Amino acid sequence: MLNKWTFTGAAVAAAIAGAAAANPYAPYEGTTLVVNFPAHPHYDAAINVLDQFTEETGIEVEVDQLQYLRMRERQTLELTKDEGDYDLIAYVVFSKADYVYADQLENLAKYFMNPALADPSYDQSDLISGYVQNIGVAGGAKGYLPGQLGSAFGIPFGSETSVLAYRKDIFEKHGIEAPETYDELLDIACKIPELEPGMGGMASRAASGHQASHAFLLHLAPLGGRVFDDEWNPIINNEAGVAAANALKTIVDCGPEGGTTFGPAEAASAFRQGQAAMFMDSIAFAAGFEDPTQSTVVGNVGYAMHPMGVRRGSQTGGFGLGIPSNAPNKEAAFLLMQWLTSKKGDLAVAMEGGNPSRFSTYQDAGLNEKFPYSATFGEALEFADPDWRPIIPVWGSINADIGTTMSQVLTEGLDPQKALDGVAERTRATMDDAGYYAWQE
Amino acid sequence: MLANANRMTPYLFLAPAALIMIVALLYPIGYMIYASFLDWNPSQRIGEADWIGLRNYTELLGDAAFRESFWVTLKFASIVVSIEMVLGVGLALLLDRELRGMTLLRTVFILPMMIAPIVVGLVWRYMYHPTVGTFNRFLDSIGLPSAPWLSDGDWAFASIVIADIWQWTPFIFILSLAALQSLPRSAMEAARIDGATGWQLIWHIKLPLMLPVLIVTALLRIIDAFKVLEVILVLTNGGPGLSTEILALRISRTASEFRELGYAAAMSNLLLILLLVLTIAMFAYTKLQEVRAARLRQAAED
Repeated sequence: MLNKWTFTGAAVAAAIAGAAAANPYAPYEGTTLVVNFPAHPHYDAAINVLDQFTEETGIEVEVDQLQYLRMRERQTLELTKDEGDYDLIAYVVFSKADYVYADQLENLAKYFMNPALADPSYDQSDLISGYVQNIGVAGGAKGYLPGQLGSAFGIPFGSETSVLAYRKDIFEKHGIEAPETYDELLDIACKIPELEPGMGGMASRAASGHQASHAFLLHLAPLGGRVFDDEWNPIINNEAGVAAANALKTIVDCGPEGGTTFGPAEAASAFRQGQAAMFMDSIAFAAGFEDPTQSTVVGNVGYAMHPMGVRRGSQTGGFGLGIPSNAPNKEAAFLLMQWLTSKKGDLAVAMEGGNPSRFSTYQDAGLNEKFPYSATFGEALEFADPDWRPIIPVWGSINADIGTTMSQVLTEGLDPQKALDGVAERTRATMDDAGYYAWQE
Repeated sequence: MLANANRMTPYLFLAPAALIMIVALLYPIGYMIYASFLDWNPSQRIGEADWIGLRNYTELLGDAAFRESFWVTLKFASIVVSIEMVLGVGLALLLDRELRGMTLLRTVFILPMMIAPIVVGLVWRYMYHPTVGTFNRFLDSIGLPSAPWLSDGDWAFASIVIADIWQWTPFIFILSLAALQSLPRSAMEAARIDGATGWQLIWHIKLPLMLPVLIVTALLRIIDAFKVLEVILVLTNGGPGLSTEILALRISRTASEFRELGYAAAMSNLLLILLLVLTIAMFAYTKLQEVRAARLRQAAED
């Protein structure tokens, strides 16, 4: 009798265990997750595949989608509450410093260590390393980069790098090859207005503030520069910094009319409307160039890697996913994050027009057939530089200072060396105030 | 005893409402003053922020970007309010008559101020566009070179001034018109009988009588011009360089981009003090003018 009951009990336990193993989502079935996403093409694509997640897992997802600056403001308030409303958030890359520093994001180690939650087929090594380092990991070198003691606080999702888009038809007409180096890039940028009157060489962001800073930093890394050295001393005003400022000025001077007021949308629009022969910015704009409802250059756009200066170094930016420390349903949120960033989820989102976060997605034949530029983007990602701009809590004011000073270089003829000397001096004061030199003798 | 109680009764009834009003009005201001003494970033609750005394204020004194913003704001407010007052009052004097279609015309004049500032910014940004914008296309059509509306510091400043004048002149117009229409007709008739010309009527009767209203109108516009944000945010975002970065934009950036809430609160308080001093001065002047206007009215009626 005892044996019979023992056997039956064991069988039931095995059946329950088997059922649990077969469906790791079962304990969370019926849960409703509230996620906070930005209004961004990648997240529009992600929202399109959420029904598939609910169907597979039984976990419902409610999306609070906001314009990204508004999203950041909302998160700033939400994350300071004892009990938050969001289970999963998308955060813009420079929020990593603020959220991790304030202990507002979950360290993901405990979730990946939990066999009931971590999918063994997830394949972390397939995630694009530049993105992971830039968006996901903190606590290693310089605090914001990976290192022996670093940890993951987020996973890239909707991340971006920079590529060069150029007009194949114009280049072919004048026998020009896509530029591979900065010298070639600058040469072509100023040759185009002579060859094609009325057309600018390259459309670039340059508006005062963040946009001008972004544009300058885009050239700084490949030209061999950095904002800081390893001891946090500002080196933005060295030879590479001046070269980057001069490169930006050349590009804007030879670019389409009114370029000094351009944000990314205006620069992309100038390229789409045939007012510029080149555009170098995030890969996120490519879909718009191929959209006949908004572009006059469909089928005429070629893509090349971000040209090389003294080294290769394309930008890393965009968004990542993280679980707030005050999230009500952290484990279910992890399952959604894992699903969206898995090979299957990443491909599904990419096929809807999102930006892949995995090398394997870029190699997918179906994706390359649908979006032929994907192969170039995958190649560019191998050189994505996670340290092209610092991700530190005081970056906001330094970034604004670089941006307004660069705007003065572009519009008021301020000498680049003098301008960058001023930025370096003010940056040092900001860093000193924030305690970055406390350990220096 | 009973008489005393009766005298207190109205105050007792009013007390709860008055208390709520005072708390609702003063609490946010008190919060802002308290915040200005803190080293506070948005990731902290206010209770977790460090008390740093007057440091935010002393740093402001040496902050070149703040000084620049303050100067830009002062320049902007002075120019737009002066031009808007001249245009608004001028239009009111011109349209203060009963002609056919005047009601429609007045309605059309006040349309700009009914439009949301963000929309105004977007519309003007498009009109200032270097290649497809209305203004450069017009210049092009008459053979003139394009203007760098938003891409040159001086032009960008002029551009935000033009947009503000377009939107807010109607405000001056509508208040001036109301003031004009409330003037005692007897004073005007008496002056006419005495042989006053149209210009003399305006200079010696209408404008002096309107002055108290005009001062309050100007004050409201000055306060508003010091706080303008959305249109400039959309049009220039403070650039090129810092050429159009008015104080409200600097404060907003300090709070949201630089994440220095305490420092932003200190800036806001300085702006508040400045506007408060200006308001007190203008109200004192208004009081003086009201007394003079009353004397004038009395003299005219006599």
